[in-house]
Amino acid sequence: MQLKKTQQGPRNIRRQLAVATCSLLAGASHASSLIASGDNWKIDSALLIYAEKDRVSLAEGILNIRKEIDDDEFINARIVTDVLTGSSPNGAVPSSTAQTFTNPSGNSTYTEAANTTPLNHTFKDLRNALSVDWDTPLNRNLRGTLGGNISREYDYLSTGISASLAQDINQRNTTLSIGFSLNKDTWDPVGGVPAGFAVMPAFPGKKTISGSNTDKTVQEILLGVTQVINRRTLMQANYSRGQSDGYLTDPYKILSVLENDGSGNLRGTNPYIYENRPDQRTYQSLYWKGVHQFPNENVLNVSYRYFWDDWGIQSHTVDLRYRFDFDGGHYLQPHLRYYQQGAADFYRQTLIDGEETTLSYASADYRLGEFVTQTIGLKYGFEFKNGAEINFRAEMITQKGKDRSADAVGILQNQQLFPDNEAYLLQGGLSLDSDMVIKYIMRLFK
Amino acid sequence: MSMIKTFLFSAFISLVLSACSLEPVQPWDRDLLAQQKMQLVADPLEIYLDEHTYFSKEGSSGGQSVGGGGCGCN
Amino acid sequence: MPDLERRADYFVGHFEAMASNCEVLIDTEDKNLAQEITRLAAAEVCRIEQKYSRYRDNNILHRINQGAITRVDEETARLLDYAQQLYQLSEGQFDVTSGVLRRAWHFDGSDNIPSAARIKALLPLVGWEKVQWYNPQIQLEKGMEIDFGGIGKEYAADRAALMISTFVAGQSDTHACSTPVLINLGGDLAVTGPRKNGNGWQVGVNSGASTMSPQAADFSLKQGGVATSGDANRYLEKEGMRYSHVLDPRTGWPVKNAPASVTVVAASCTDAGMLSTMALLYGPQAEDFLREQDVPWWCQWHNKEYLL
Repeated sequence: MQLKKTQQGPRNIRRQLAVATCSLLAGASHASSLIASGDNWKIDSALLIYAEKDRVSLAEGILNIRKEIDDDEFINARIVTDVLTGSSPNGAVPSSTAQTFTNPSGNSTYTEAANTTPLNHTFKDLRNALSVDWDTPLNRNLRGTLGGNISREYDYLSTGISASLAQDINQRNTTLSIGFSLNKDTWDPVGGVPAGFAVMPAFPGKKTISGSNTDKTVQEILLGVTQVINRRTLMQANYSRGQSDGYLTDPYKILSVLENDGSGNLRGTNPYIYENRPDQRTYQSLYWKGVHQFPNENVLNVSYRYFWDDWGIQSHTVDLRYRFDFDGGHYLQPHLRYYQQGAADFYRQTLIDGEETTLSYASADYRLGEFVTQTIGLKYGFEFKNGAEINFRAEMITQKGKDRSADAVGILQNQQLFPDNEAYLLQGGLSLDSDMVIKYIMRLFK
Repeated sequence: MSMIKTFLFSAFISLVLSACSLEPVQPWDRDLLAQQKMQLVADPLEIYLDEHTYFSKEGSSGGQSVGGGGCGCN
Repeated sequence: MPDLERRADYFVGHFEAMASNCEVLIDTEDKNLAQEITRLAAAEVCRIEQKYSRYRDNNILHRINQGAITRVDEETARLLDYAQQLYQLSEGQFDVTSGVLRRAWHFDGSDNIPSAARIKALLPLVGWEKVQWYNPQIQLEKGMEIDFGGIGKEYAADRAALMISTFVAGQSDTHACSTPVLINLGGDLAVTGPRKNGNGWQVGVNSGASTMSPQAADFSLKQGGVATSGDANRYLEKEGMRYSHVLDPRTGWPVKNAPASVTVVAASCTDAGMLSTMALLYGPQAEDFLREQDVPWWCQWHNKEYLL
């Protein structure tokens, strides 16, 4: 705070003083002498239903518990369970005739009708995840957070730790932060880890595997600045860089291999091979977010991310949420998101017979392709007078990809190679303090 | 593309530098900034679910924070 | 139990708090109502005294003064915000962290002036700008202390008046719900409104040997509050120099040639108290400051020979 020496002698401060005193006394009529209590647990929960048209459905539940264990020191625990069912594109392209695939287990087959995107129909998974964070002040203007997380699926285990520091400067108008995370993940895929470009054998043949399990490590570092711009505006800018090492391939995804006569027909023998990706990936992103409250109390939350990696993927993401507040604690919040991605260098929708011996890497995973995701959604929330909140949202997500013209050979020019997608999302959330739960339970027993 | 990166980097740096010339917002003027809806992540569960969904459907992820953990969905 | 006394056409309740004789003047004939109002005023004043007394080790102030990050309740937060605004309005002269200087200064009428080195050693512990106040959390540097002594009594008077207004307004009896009250905490006054007869409350200001503003001549209190700062009996004297007990937190030394006391009338007792305190801090310019504020005031000076 700058103190300026007055040159001009005493000035009138009575009005400013009266305003200050007024706010001192104003809230006082119902002032309680209670110290803000940290005894309660803050409980947030949400249930999400995500359904893709004709493909994957997911139900996911989250319970998040936050407890202040000391002055300004918090423990946060989050439990997530999700159940996934349905089918997911296996990487092969549609064909004018029905296609038969061997399941990853090698014990059965599934057949996809002509002119449809081949899907792996045996997709079923249960995931349980737990993460715990400890967030504590280290000194007056420095906070530290330590976290650990574990996530388990029947074929995948992810464990990780993270640490971050946040330093307030400039009278707490600026926060500088640095974060680091390390994840160690293990794949234990059904039927073993396919060797790169291994052929998917016709049933009952067995694919060539490189082992029964494999792993990868992911390290990330993030540097960020959060700045209070003015009384109504806040901004954040982050740079992050990550590196993945190890097995980065999807052990269930395959590629269609075509005859090299330009016909677009699948080759006669072993027309499907497992994909193969580099064993290292370095990615970076620049992220910016702004939050602004308008005089009518509506809040705009907008962010932009530019992402690029050494696989050749680049993406732009714009996310916009605008919250309209209404009387009585109701609010509505429309959400728009636009995501545009360029393809990885080794993204191929098909291979030509023989290419698997000359190429080092190839994947037909649509997530490495060129596409746009658009999201439109609306959230409704209601804040109770006691601080609890209940909310619902519904969103529609569409993904539209672009076919690689070089891969659309011969008769495949009549097929849509990219598996466009349409999904719906419904979510309900409830937040409350533990003492509300206790009061409610006590009322039940009365 | 390096043009885009250069531009973004310089925009990023200038945002950081411009922070120094701003008038600090004093504690008693932080009533609005203290509201839950004015937090960078106003609804953490919603953001968690979004990030998880897009992580499994897109080729890029992250940028906002570190930690949280992976899954076999990508 | 506060005691109650009947005067001409009103009741007076008495109690002791904040090291002062406290009075509540209640413009009513209803003894029970007067009793209840006095009890209410005493409870509120005692609550504030306990919560913010610097002589206790079980209150929020004590916790803050330990130097750890402390999360404060709403009322304390408002007081801290207020302290911060006063610090700015007074350009650093009014500072709730200046209490540590009392470790060196004892205004007992003696010539016991602390050494400059002693003062210099304390100065790093003074200065609101060093306080990390980020509502609702505060942290002081080690050794620093906050003291609401300069605000507390006036704040308590206004709070008690406010509580009584709310209580009285809630009375079903139409007579009772318009009962005006005056709170007097050892000379700091707050009223809830003019008397039932429409006149102001007659307030005696010891105006002997004082200068005053024109508005002060025919003064009776209808709204707001009155406060007096300064104490003619608290000073040090050495080699013909009188050191008033008003310390300038920026230097650690008493303000030279400050008035012995200043009394101000303003929109609230708290306002009046802050204006009178700031007037003292202006030293010989006290009257210039008061004239700028456009309020009724009385200013009492020490013997003029001390004016340089």
